[in-house]
Amino acid sequence: MGTIKKFKNYFSNIPMLGWLLGVFTAVLIEYYWGYDYISYYLGLPKIPALFGALFMLKDPYMIPGVMGYNLIVYIIPILLIAKITTFFTNPTAFILEKMPLWLSVIIHLICFYGILHLWAGINDYRALVVKLTMISIILTISINVINGYQGEFSCSHPGFMAIGAYISSVLTLLFFVDDKIFGAALLPSYLGPWIFPLTLIAGGFAASFGSLIVAIPSFRTRGDYLAIISLAFMFIIKSAIENIQFIGGARGMGGQPDYATLPVIFIWTMLCIWIIHNFVTSIMGKALNAVRDDEAASESMTVKTRKTKMTAFMFGAFWAGIAGGLFAHVLSYINPGTFSLTRLAEILAMVYFGGLNSIVGSIVGAVSISVLGEALRPLELYKWIIIPLILIFVMIFRPYGLISFKEINAKRLLRSKNKKEEGV
Amino acid sequence: MKKITCLLIVSFAFAMVFSTSAFSARKTIIKIGINAPLTGDIPKVGEGSKFAAMMWLEDIEKAGGLEIGGKKYDVELVIEDNESKAESAVKANTKMITQDDVIAIVGPQSSSQAVPAGEVANKYKTVMISPWSTNPNTTLDRPYVFRGCFLDPFQGPVVSNFISDEFGLTKAAVLYDVAADYQKGLAEEFKKAWEKRHGAGSIVAYESFTTKDTDFSSQLTKIIKSGAEVLFAPQYYNEVPLVVQQAKELGWKGPIVGSDSWGSTETVQLCGEACYGLYFSTHYAAAGATGATKIFIDRYTDTYGYVPDDVAALTWDALRLAEQAIKDAGKITGRIEKDRQAVRDALAKIKNFAGITGNMTFTEEGDPIKCAVIVKINDKGEYEFFKSICP
Repeated sequence: MGTIKKFKNYFSNIPMLGWLLGVFTAVLIEYYWGYDYISYYLGLPKIPALFGALFMLKDPYMIPGVMGYNLIVYIIPILLIAKITTFFTNPTAFILEKMPLWLSVIIHLICFYGILHLWAGINDYRALVVKLTMISIILTISINVINGYQGEFSCSHPGFMAIGAYISSVLTLLFFVDDKIFGAALLPSYLGPWIFPLTLIAGGFAASFGSLIVAIPSFRTRGDYLAIISLAFMFIIKSAIENIQFIGGARGMGGQPDYATLPVIFIWTMLCIWIIHNFVTSIMGKALNAVRDDEAASESMTVKTRKTKMTAFMFGAFWAGIAGGLFAHVLSYINPGTFSLTRLAEILAMVYFGGLNSIVGSIVGAVSISVLGEALRPLELYKWIIIPLILIFVMIFRPYGLISFKEINAKRLLRSKNKKEEGV
Repeated sequence: MKKITCLLIVSFAFAMVFSTSAFSARKTIIKIGINAPLTGDIPKVGEGSKFAAMMWLEDIEKAGGLEIGGKKYDVELVIEDNESKAESAVKANTKMITQDDVIAIVGPQSSSQAVPAGEVANKYKTVMISPWSTNPNTTLDRPYVFRGCFLDPFQGPVVSNFISDEFGLTKAAVLYDVAADYQKGLAEEFKKAWEKRHGAGSIVAYESFTTKDTDFSSQLTKIIKSGAEVLFAPQYYNEVPLVVQQAKELGWKGPIVGSDSWGSTETVQLCGEACYGLYFSTHYAAAGATGATKIFIDRYTDTYGYVPDDVAALTWDALRLAEQAIKDAGKITGRIEKDRQAVRDALAKIKNFAGITGNMTFTEEGDPIKCAVIVKINDKGEYEFFKSICP
């Protein structure tokens, strides 16, 4: 115990900027020497995509190689560089601290994105995993508004996602692509990436209008009953799409252009985190919590419960619609079967694993379930034993999820860690 | 603390030095990807694909590798689970192409995964052969995507003509799952072909249900009352027994005809005697097979304990096609993009490939021209060859 504490203490004076610099160095090392030198001499066939989990599980002989790779490429450079550069990262962080918080956050985010872009660019598989993980983050945060902050149990998220996915796909196919369903493109295709956000927003609005079907009964029912209504809504959407022939019915719809690139998804994810954070910390967000804790009491304390519930539902559904639109353009194919019970189970697992009532928790949940699902891929069937087991243990020991009812303070996270200056 | 660190470092160094893979040069290994639904809704299909692939690999290993241009190369299979989910199939394909450097991919089996996965394979210019997907969109406008089976627009008329010629009936009923694109597409093709031959209104009942329904009595009652003489039921192996048994209980007397989705051995195991004497169209017939087909069936049955279904046979053929194409490519340069292109060109040129599910020649679209087989379920519950219908 003592050594861990000492270890932690030793690295405690590194600001976020220092860590970012360390990771940046690690990624650079991987980028320039990863394939030709490091993985070659360690006997690995390629650069390990997800820290070597796939190699290790497939061939135990590669475990030392993978461990060595992770040590040489990630752990040692990150710790070393982060520690060495504290002499100037701390003062820089101090300067950033004096700036307005939003500016400092944006600078950090740009640095973070640069690193992420470089890291994901090494391998297309990695990029795809990162993209889908970020979409999961949007989904998880948006369901957290309903299931966490408002405390309902809504099961209609795949339905909202489907509406968003279909509406934005129809729009992009109609306007920018020559395809079999809608014929020639109505607008020149170079406009596509610029108008794509609008189609996403249209999908989001369509989803939030769809959510009214769930929101209105939610005035009268709570708990199990609402769960059933929202589940029914999901199935209604699925069957409706199956029976609408001109958007492909059960055959699905394909050929969406590749507009959902990594920067696009990253920007949407950050927007989502920022806007939802503002939403839940606003008066409306407090009202949501009040409705969750005691509806009658909050009504008597002048909270408009109807309006609150409706807004929360429409707001959550809007972001689910955005996520659906992004999802459709990452995969270039959607069919109604994609937005069904399995998807629901996945989303619910992410939000309950990560933690209710917490944006950070949602991010942790989405990332860990997505990455675990990918990393344990070689185990095939056993993957579906291990992940649920982890979920069960989390539920036993932390019934509200890993990080629940907690928010991270951006200012504290980004501040300079120099103890002398702290003392001043 | 120090002791532990030292020990760790020393043991780590030892492990590095003695591990077999360390410091060895990268060899050119030919990798073939298998994208199969090992978990999810239809695990039996994934199992069949995996077993067939393992048998194929065994053959190659026995021969000491794959001989290309006079040089033998080691072959490795990369088997990925697509969980019967579209995005998982896309992820699996992306992983196999960009991470594992596969030269060709066999799979996914179902159309709902094969259509999006084909997009990825085409984007990265890698050959993908879907053994079982019958949806036209899988290969449409995709030069790098091929398939190992016939399409719905061919199978529909085959079944329709078979019924008309063999039984001489004129009034048919169709029962299909509206949420399964395979069943829906095939039902439409059948209806079109039947009405073309017998005139409009000759399909007297066109009834649908949704996936996971287990009670078909209302649809079947309507069908029986409509005066239909034959029922076309293109269901999957898990639904066929329910449909057949319920139809018989409700007093259906006429024949019930199925499609290639009946092909699994599970159909008869679950259905029992109710299914004896029924017909379906498929890719190959296990009972009474001869030649290479029989050898394959016997070997598979010996190794895995049950008669291979059509998915296994088609996967086997798809792998042999890939093997042939790699051999025809002439040489392996080690530059994966170039090799993939060579394999694709070689595959498109293959003519009259003798597979165990029939001879194959690819069209421009990457679809094979091959014969369908009508199979009768005999009194022992075996799938007996009845008739072969060629385009």
